[in-house]
Amino acid sequence: MAYVIQVEGLTKRFSALVAVDNVSFQVQEGEVFGILGPNGAGKTTILECIEGLQEPTAGRALVRGIDPRQEPHRAKENMGVQLQASAYFDYLTLTEVLELFGRFYHRHPDPRQLLALVGLEDKAKSTVSRLSGGQKQRFTLAATLVNDPQVVFLDEPTMGLDPQARRHLWETIQEMHQESRTVVLTTHYMEEAQALCHRVAIMDQGRIAALDTPTNLIRHLPVPYRVRLVASTTLPLGEMEGLQGVTAVEHSRNGEYLLSSVNAGHTLPALLALLNGRGAIAEHLEVFTATLEDVFLSLTGKELRA
Amino acid sequence: MLFLTLFLANIKMLYRNRQAIFWALFFPLIFVVVFGLFRLDEPSPVKMALVDQAQDLLSARLVQSLGKVEFLKLNTTFNEEEARRKLVDGDIAYILVIPSGLAQRVSSGHSTNLTFIYDEKRIQNNQLVQGVLEQFLGEMNMAVQGSSPLLTLDSRGISARRIGYFDFLMPGFVGMGVMTFAIISMASQLALYRQQRILKRIKATPLSVRTFFLAQVGAWLVLSLVQAAVILAAGMLLFGARVYGNIVWMFPLVILANLAFLNLGFIVGSLARTVEAANGLANVVSLPMMFFSGVFFPTDNLPSVLREIVRLLPLTPLLKALRGVLLDAQPPWHYPGELGLLTLWVVATSVVAVWSFRFE
Repeated sequence: MAYVIQVEGLTKRFSALVAVDNVSFQVQEGEVFGILGPNGAGKTTILECIEGLQEPTAGRALVRGIDPRQEPHRAKENMGVQLQASAYFDYLTLTEVLELFGRFYHRHPDPRQLLALVGLEDKAKSTVSRLSGGQKQRFTLAATLVNDPQVVFLDEPTMGLDPQARRHLWETIQEMHQESRTVVLTTHYMEEAQALCHRVAIMDQGRIAALDTPTNLIRHLPVPYRVRLVASTTLPLGEMEGLQGVTAVEHSRNGEYLLSSVNAGHTLPALLALLNGRGAIAEHLEVFTATLEDVFLSLTGKELRA
Repeated sequence: MLFLTLFLANIKMLYRNRQAIFWALFFPLIFVVVFGLFRLDEPSPVKMALVDQAQDLLSARLVQSLGKVEFLKLNTTFNEEEARRKLVDGDIAYILVIPSGLAQRVSSGHSTNLTFIYDEKRIQNNQLVQGVLEQFLGEMNMAVQGSSPLLTLDSRGISARRIGYFDFLMPGFVGMGVMTFAIISMASQLALYRQQRILKRIKATPLSVRTFFLAQVGAWLVLSLVQAAVILAAGMLLFGARVYGNIVWMFPLVILANLAFLNLGFIVGSLARTVEAANGLANVVSLPMMFFSGVFFPTDNLPSVLREIVRLLPLTPLLKALRGVLLDAQPPWHYPGELGLLTLWVVATSVVAVWSFRFE
């Protein structure tokens, strides 16, 4: 597999603050790669070093083998960049902005096609200033594609959007992937990283705390499963703790049992057998896997949205 | 080619920006209209009460002749006491009393005093009116004595052109309009582009920032030519401002000076952190020039230290050259000092502008 992006020992210092601390990773061709972490973890700085918008203090970032510091022009030709909360000219229509930005790459993009991709065909003749927040975000996605780039960088593409607008944007990002573009995105939404990304780098204080597929990250958690149970009778806590795979049991005040398990496949039959033996009925039974949120908590000991 | 595309896009953006058009055209036009309506170079009429206590042939002749003096508005209905009250109230400015028995006294060869009463507060007009009256009485004396003057003054103005205050103001308004718009709009535009991260977005494309800004400066220069033409045309067509030189020379002067103004705006936009700060700082830079560089008054009237400082500001040489070209009908190269100073400003501000620029 060819690496589209190679980041080697990347470090960025702002006087006393170390924003990015010796970070290395590779992104494969056609991958959707997520950089996940809370605000201030260094996500945007990494992205901007790769895009050539910031100078790394040490290390380097190559895009298709090109160092943006040495050949900025060649590096930029082939990438599509969406910046966090960046605007476009207030007094140009969407069509005019896309055409103009296409000319920056000496290309003639088809604005209609780009706008159709993000569902803004009917806004072709209105100006950016008249778009809603969600429409603006969608438009910035269309603008990253004016040069038909093989690599697309999206910095917090769904920040501040309502759930519906966010899903809409996810679809667009998935379409980018289907057009076999490599997508690198930053986010602090766990469900976004889980829904979109093939691999996720979890950032904390300028370092990569973990990097893997979302499934693997969750599977390698010490306790990846939870079972929630509401039973018709009271159950002995000691016996439940002895069930196969169970590491802990909590009994909440409203009568709900919450079991942590290393293996749901073993724990569930044993739990049902226990209920049967006592003639009890499960009024509510729910099994759920941990999320990247739990991964982050387990890796850093911090809540992501603190 | 790319430059042209970007230049045209900038023209389009300017044209659609109502606020920019307002500050570029309507703001200076307000000055043209206000100063065009108040004709400041024509003295306002002076109200004078003429109290004729003589009521004889000679006094009637005096009254009739005084009535022909253009800027005196005579009132002959008051007696002296009423007239004095009116003067204290400020309703009239002057009183001239013709004593009774005037014709008799004059014909018997007695010299006679006419009483001139004035309000001491009206400093500007008192000397003028008194002078006019003395001259008038002198002529009357000779007419009554039937003699002709031995010495006369043959006045010949050396300027063949009539240049009124409004004509003097018009090149000032052109320079002021171009200067204020260039500095303020360039400063806030740059701050806005930075604040909205448009600059950074441009940096992420292969387009060079130099091309980006040169195209913008090009569009601004075109607008400044439109500004100069519209402002001058308004003064000439609406209020009959007089221009004696070749108007075309105005345009290269405006472009040269505007390069310096745009650079100043660019520097202000780089130094300020926010759009609001850029706006405020741009006003700090442009307002003193607007008031001191001779838009409204010749800089010769300033205290000498201030005059020497003001002489170096970029608006001052522009106004001097503009007035020379438009009012004295000189070609621009008749002002090498002014052109040199403007060029120096363009070069210096270009260097500082490049040095002060930042993307974020």
